[in-house]
Amino acid sequence: MSNYTENELAKDLENQEYKFGFVTDIEADTVPIGLNEDIIRLISLKKNEPEWLLNYRLKAFGIWQEMTEPEWAHVQYQKPDFQAISYYSAPKQTKKYESWDDVDPEMKETMKKLGISMEEQQRLTGVAVDFVMDSVSVATSFKEKLSELGIIFCSFSDAVQEHPELVQKYMGTVVPSTDNFYAALNGAVFTDGSFCYIPKGVRCPMELSTYFRINAGGTGQFERTLVVADEGAYVSYLEGCTAPQRDENQLHAAVVELIALNDAEIKYSTVQNWYPGDKQGKGGVFNFVTKRGICETNAKISWTQVETGSAVTWKYPSCILKGDNSVGEFYSVAVTNNYQQADTGTKMVHLGKNTKSTIISKGISAGKSQNSYRGLVQIHKGAQNARNFSQCDSLLMTDECGAHTFPYIECKNPTAKIEHEATTSKIGEDQLFYCMQRGISEEKAISLIVNGYCKEVLNQLPMEFAVEAQKLLAISLEGSVG
Amino acid sequence: METLISNKLLQFVADLGPTKLHVPVSLQAAAQAYLKDQDFPTTKTERFKYTRLAKLNNAQLSAAHQLDVAQLEQHSVLTDAYTIYVNNDQIKIPQNLPTGLEINLNTQDSGAFHEASFYDVFGALNILHAQNGVSISLAKNCTLDKPIQIVQVNSGGKYFYRHHFNFGANAEATIFFVSKQQDQTTSFSHTHLQYNIAQDARIKIFKLQDTAQNHFDFYEDRAQQAAKSHFEINTLTLDGSFVRNDTMVAIKGEHAQTYLNGAYWLKEEQHVANYTTIDHQVANCESFETYKGVAADRSTAVFNGKVFVRKDAQKTNAYQSNANVLLSENASVNSKPELEIYADDVKCSHGSTTGQLDDNALFYLRARGLSSASAKTLLLQAFMEDVLTYVKHEEVLSYMHQRIAERFNWNY
Repeated sequence: MSNYTENELAKDLENQEYKFGFVTDIEADTVPIGLNEDIIRLISLKKNEPEWLLNYRLKAFGIWQEMTEPEWAHVQYQKPDFQAISYYSAPKQTKKYESWDDVDPEMKETMKKLGISMEEQQRLTGVAVDFVMDSVSVATSFKEKLSELGIIFCSFSDAVQEHPELVQKYMGTVVPSTDNFYAALNGAVFTDGSFCYIPKGVRCPMELSTYFRINAGGTGQFERTLVVADEGAYVSYLEGCTAPQRDENQLHAAVVELIALNDAEIKYSTVQNWYPGDKQGKGGVFNFVTKRGICETNAKISWTQVETGSAVTWKYPSCILKGDNSVGEFYSVAVTNNYQQADTGTKMVHLGKNTKSTIISKGISAGKSQNSYRGLVQIHKGAQNARNFSQCDSLLMTDECGAHTFPYIECKNPTAKIEHEATTSKIGEDQLFYCMQRGISEEKAISLIVNGYCKEVLNQLPMEFAVEAQKLLAISLEGSVG
Repeated sequence: METLISNKLLQFVADLGPTKLHVPVSLQAAAQAYLKDQDFPTTKTERFKYTRLAKLNNAQLSAAHQLDVAQLEQHSVLTDAYTIYVNNDQIKIPQNLPTGLEINLNTQDSGAFHEASFYDVFGALNILHAQNGVSISLAKNCTLDKPIQIVQVNSGGKYFYRHHFNFGANAEATIFFVSKQQDQTTSFSHTHLQYNIAQDARIKIFKLQDTAQNHFDFYEDRAQQAAKSHFEINTLTLDGSFVRNDTMVAIKGEHAQTYLNGAYWLKEEQHVANYTTIDHQVANCESFETYKGVAADRSTAVFNGKVFVRKDAQKTNAYQSNANVLLSENASVNSKPELEIYADDVKCSHGSTTGQLDDNALFYLRARGLSSASAKTLLLQAFMEDVLTYVKHEEVLSYMHQRIAERFNWNY
């Protein structure tokens, strides 16, 4: 007979260790710690960048120096010492890989532990993987197949070399360096990331996927992702993250920019499982990310995220609905455990007529964690018939955790319709009773309820990713959900 | 030694003397400390994100002038009540009070709670500069036969008021706080209202805010509730160009119930902000919050509701809703319903909507022969009537209906 109760579930959550905590021992080419103009010039030189990009970096650095770290988020942490971080780290091999066999076996092993063996990925799933290990792209597959369609999918540094006109045209248009403290920092020191361009009218035949991974101790990662879908194009982009176990805090300040031109559609899915720190709240990744997309006429951007990792998360994937009839969506599951803190949500800025946005946010707090939703729905004067629906639910697992909601709703147009609702509760005894009365064991009932609770969001993930997301959710809520 | 007036805030209160009321020295010191280096809050301050105080800072306030009794009595809304008149420096306290009810000038220690926690500079300024106020206490087991009415009339100048209420165990009372404006004077008032509610007491507060253009009307409501008490604040904003309500209820005893309701009818350039905080400190309590409003012309409505559930406040039920109808292209609504929850066995929800009238409902009425205008009016009246149902007092209700009719051409 199963006597699995919510308390036990909570206990399990507390006891569960981070599964992906391992360090790959690769010699890294690291620049001296600290941040100044010389370091930025050094990074730019190492990456063989054109002058306009160096100037962009220096300008961003100047802006960053004027700014102070934001404190409005509902999180508490030891502020990173920006002078104690090494801003560039690349695996040391200088020669390019001729074939997959040439790749350092240890790196392959890392991928294997992550469950994304390159060969398998290529053969079985048809997903092109741009694997970023400490800032430098190691292998890119399916490039040719994609290039037949005119799709550009490569690392950001390659894009700078090969398609400077596109990068220069779009970079910083959605998230300018002046946007916020971490965006400015990223603008100054970003090392690599992904670039994706889908030409007019092309529907990308496969999901594009990038695995980011933080490695060498003490190096922060500053990715920059730029996805441009030209008129009538469609792309589904996947981003997944795992990081090795570390004792000191690691800073991650990425910038993601999406640009959906007229009639285009971008679907951006994230599974984030960085090292959340140990049970005492020691260590873990600081995840301070700026993600934003802009929609032109009839365009659509859809963000889906499953957040289970990081010690501190500060992240608001947003949509600027500039064009008429454009659509923005945000689906999120955020799980926090032990001493994790998450302040996440979205911003939907309605500028165009008949714009629509949907926000579905599900938070699950366990252990001693704090989980906040912070969102903004802004209807501007010209956004006739704008429509928004927001739903933010929180599930509390223990009496020591917290769940908070901070929605901002600003409306300046009388034809707009805005709905917002939020609930906070624990797993209802009546729900449990209902299931158990029908012969479902308590453990299964809890798993069923949690699964059902997140289903709305998980359903939004592409097939290839849904499996991984469920795996991560299962690990995060081990012993109860499967 | 001469002190230099370094900022606009100090300049703003430069002509005000120290408070004449009973305010503990420790609290004054805390307020002094809080105000150190503070200036007028800007829109960068979270609590003033939607409120521009430049208008107040630049306003030319009329000279304060005292009204006579006849003028004051014109502003009364209730005929049968224990009515207190507050106007600038003067206060009129009724005679022949029933046993159990005491009304005094707020110059003695009235047993009020003094918490040195500040949300904004005005609360701290009030502590230092309050010139006028009453303390009202109702003995235990006392049920008032008729309501208390406080008519506060503004007639120019800059005033900080401080009113204290003490309700004994099992006491029952209804209080109407009517805020009015004499003529077309430009004035500022900040009113601190404090309610101390003992066990089992049943208290209803109605705030009728009916000031005119050019009056800056600030309120700070602070309440503490003991076990099994029932407390209700209804904030009804009929008129006033600049109204700001900051209400905070701390629930300190189990099985207490709290109702916060608000309604606002805005037009022209009105700015009305309602900030509420319900602090659930103990288990087994319930709170209900409903704020509704319509905004026409170039008006702005702001709602910021916070429900705070502390770690030990298990079995809390907290509901909050805010609904708005925008009637014009230049009106705007900013709503921020917040939940901050540290206990797990709770049921908390909030909802916020902003929209316009339902086309189907309008069609239904049009099909039955109503003109477009009257169909709209009917639906808007019905929308707002939700909150008005709490006003059980006929006289007040008809006064409100009359005022709304005057301003919006709605027929009741």
